[in-house]
Amino acid sequence: MIAHIVRRLLLGILTIACVYTLTFVMVISIPGNPFQQSERNMPPEAEQALRVRYSMDNNWLYFWEFIDGAVHLDFGPAFTYNDWTCNQIIADSLPVSVLIGLMAIVLAVLVGVPLGVISAVRRGGWVDMTVSALVLAGISVPTFVAGTFLLIVFAVYLKIAPVGGWGTLAHLPLPAITLSLPFIAYIARLTRMGMLDVLSSDFIRTALAKGVSPRNVVWNHALKVAFLPVLSFLGPATAQAMTGSFVVEKVFGVPGIGQHFVNAALNLDAGLIMSTVLVFATLLVFMNLLIDVLYMWIDPRIAEAV
Amino acid sequence: MRETPRAAPTRHANECAVCGMVRSVPIFCAAVLAFLISAYALIEDEAPADFRYVNPSGIHTLDPARMSWTPDFRVAINIWEGLTSAHPRTTEPVEGAALFPPQVSDDGFEYAFTIRPDARWSDGSQVTASDFVRGWRRALEPGTAADYTFMFTDHIAGAADYVKWRLEAVTALTALSRLRDGWSIDAAQAKGLAAHPGYDLIRTEAGLPEIPSASDPKAQDLEALTARANRSDADWSRLYDRFFAEHVAELDERFNAIGISAVDVRTLVVTLTRPCPYFLDLTAFPTFFPCHKSIELLQERYRGAPITAQGLVVYDPQWTKPDYRRDGYGGLVTNGPYRVSDWAFKRRLRMTVNPHYRRAQSIQCRTIDMVVYDHISAAIMAYEAEDVDFLPSMDVPYDHEIAHLSRSGQRPDFYLCDVLATYFFNFNCVSEMVAGRPNPFVDPRVRKAFSLAVDREAIVDNVLKRGDRVANTFVPSGVIAGYDSPEGLHRNADHARRLLADAGFVDGEGLPAIQLLYLPADERICQAAARMWEEELGVRVELRCKESKTFAEDKAQHRYMIARGNWYADYYDARTFLDCLVTGNGNNDSGYSSPRYDELIAQARDTPEPRRRAEILQQAERLVVEEDLPILPILHYALPIAIKPNVKGLYPNARLRFPFQYITIER
Repeated sequence: MIAHIVRRLLLGILTIACVYTLTFVMVISIPGNPFQQSERNMPPEAEQALRVRYSMDNNWLYFWEFIDGAVHLDFGPAFTYNDWTCNQIIADSLPVSVLIGLMAIVLAVLVGVPLGVISAVRRGGWVDMTVSALVLAGISVPTFVAGTFLLIVFAVYLKIAPVGGWGTLAHLPLPAITLSLPFIAYIARLTRMGMLDVLSSDFIRTALAKGVSPRNVVWNHALKVAFLPVLSFLGPATAQAMTGSFVVEKVFGVPGIGQHFVNAALNLDAGLIMSTVLVFATLLVFMNLLIDVLYMWIDPRIAEAV
Repeated sequence: MRETPRAAPTRHANECAVCGMVRSVPIFCAAVLAFLISAYALIEDEAPADFRYVNPSGIHTLDPARMSWTPDFRVAINIWEGLTSAHPRTTEPVEGAALFPPQVSDDGFEYAFTIRPDARWSDGSQVTASDFVRGWRRALEPGTAADYTFMFTDHIAGAADYVKWRLEAVTALTALSRLRDGWSIDAAQAKGLAAHPGYDLIRTEAGLPEIPSASDPKAQDLEALTARANRSDADWSRLYDRFFAEHVAELDERFNAIGISAVDVRTLVVTLTRPCPYFLDLTAFPTFFPCHKSIELLQERYRGAPITAQGLVVYDPQWTKPDYRRDGYGGLVTNGPYRVSDWAFKRRLRMTVNPHYRRAQSIQCRTIDMVVYDHISAAIMAYEAEDVDFLPSMDVPYDHEIAHLSRSGQRPDFYLCDVLATYFFNFNCVSEMVAGRPNPFVDPRVRKAFSLAVDREAIVDNVLKRGDRVANTFVPSGVIAGYDSPEGLHRNADHARRLLADAGFVDGEGLPAIQLLYLPADERICQAAARMWEEELGVRVELRCKESKTFAEDKAQHRYMIARGNWYADYYDARTFLDCLVTGNGNNDSGYSSPRYDELIAQARDTPEPRRRAEILQQAERLVVEEDLPILPILHYALPIAIKPNVKGLYPNARLRFPFQYITIER
């Protein structure tokens, strides 16, 4: 098991290295001047001076300098926001996104799993139909629509939540709920499919035949198996939720890290693009590894297999 | 086979563990949730500020020498003070950190500013003339890469030569340091090195191969150079060291030769290249702000050496942080009415009154929060919910409705600012070919035809509906005192078709598809203009909407036929607009080049007599808006802002400059 984890770790590092190289190649191939701030044109000499200053006049040098910095957890300066380093930007925005993301995932599990279970048990009934419709809506309604809707209902009409921004407890629920909606839908659907599979299997029939209460069978015997696909979904989903959502941040004015993914790319802010991508890649690799370990803990058959 | 005795217990044990796990998931989740909420609840919130306003994008930099965004300037003019400052209503120059007005020599070349004895930095120290010299020098340095260096090089005696000398040296030192380290250099770098005045002498001494100074150094010469670099590092090293030492030795002497000098602690004498009627307007601009001496101490700690191997002077970019410390140095010190007391990235910037500022006692608005709302609609909702007091920008797709509410008097707290700015189209005047097609716009008749075919009134009244002013000229007419704009062109479709026929394109026959390059925000204007051209001239227009960086690149490379453009005045004079069309100007995006125009502008520059000067400038403008048409002016912006009715002392103005120290709030 330890050997497996070590192997996975090494593979993870290789993955991150590949992601970095690919991103780097893409970043340096985009045409344009990353230092130009406004629409006013920058004198070519000034651009050259800045390229020299940030070692960007030589791609190899830049490639190695950036990776050298990244290994020492120093991602260098951000070009668009001159007074801040990428480290400061990430340190400032990642916790916000992690907080909202974790809340969204927790919410998604707390709501999504029971929904899935209920609709599987009442298969074909009106409860199942309603849940399926809600799931479909959750997956297909874009977050900017859902977010704006919540904002209008709770902030503008009911006035029980702030319009947006960040800094107090009241700013927390709306973005977290918005972010959790698609996850709730996916988890409910995964749970329902898993449950339907399990409920028709032999050991459930046996358990029922032996007189175990249906409630006990559903929540204890069936769910433990049906939960496995949800668990494997949770790895990447948690990583995704924690690295922020551009849309949710934009709608609610939340200073998370998601906006930097998009804005850095639009601004050609090379350092910020690569550091946010590296953070995301690392989180993803780590979460997947964590889920693997959890899997082995839940189901020793997997541990024995590896 | 019978069951092995230990099989059952194992399974049983597993089952229990898993059951327990699954059952505990909700409990675990709830625990995490509770923890997160309680952890978050511990974060304390500060007392609310007296006045809150929205900045849609966050601050790009607080370094006054480097800034070029309006939201950054907005903070800068409140935390710093130049030699002059801007009147809150008219934006005309009024007293700043120096006594007003300064002594100006009879010929208008020399300005002697006396710093007020009560001008103080936020740490209590006296503002000195050398603080200004320090700030201005930073703006000239190539390592700072200031967008507004031209304000110094255009106006201050010797500044242009100094900057040129520094840039040449940086290019040469960059090339040499690369050769020294065994890296190859590219054609541009080789050219820069060879072009340096000191190169020949040292090259002969060091016995190094000659770099061809011809317009493009050939590949094999470069290879030879690089090979040479790899063979013997010593020669390059010696050459580099000598170059570097000579340059650094001359640095201060060269700088002292330019027209900026601190005669004594409180007297700053500035010598201009020629009399400049708007110089006191410039000194209120952030690029001309002073810089506290703490930055130098901080820089020594940051770099060790004052200058990098490439000859750049580079400062610790963290110096603008209010709470930054390196070995006990640092922390932003400013001399304006406010100081920055807290700055959270892309969330909030808090300004509190600078207790050492001379008006500190009479400033009613003691704390100001700049809050960031990326989404302007969200900012408007926050304004409606009384969360913020002032919206300096309401750039939303429904801004015409806001403008309507303002004009109809339904919302007296919404104002329209007639901004000193022009929105126009650039015609590509240089490239013969665009995207493999011939570019018809090299012919002035075609440019004029396209200009005559556009109905600007329709764009302003029916498309944008915001109340912008129709622009027939580049310089907004009737705004700059003493300057009368020419008439400009009015819509005349028949004339347009005749001109097009004269140019050889009867009814648009033979014209390639016209590429119109623009940004996503210009969608409506550009679709309307394209339709007018298609209907009036019989041409086909290809709409090419691009994201801003790609747009800028295409525009700079002249990969367009028509491209949107805009220009915001930097100072109150027609030249801030007209200079853009001078041959070789960095912002001459159309690539227009007319000896006559250049001569007129040069003549106006050298004419001290105001009336005569205005006449020459008017002639120059007439040339571009009535005859040659390198650009097609469309409109002068009217931008909506919102000020809560209880906020007094904040005025809508043409340059969107809002000094907060005069605000009073009625509760």
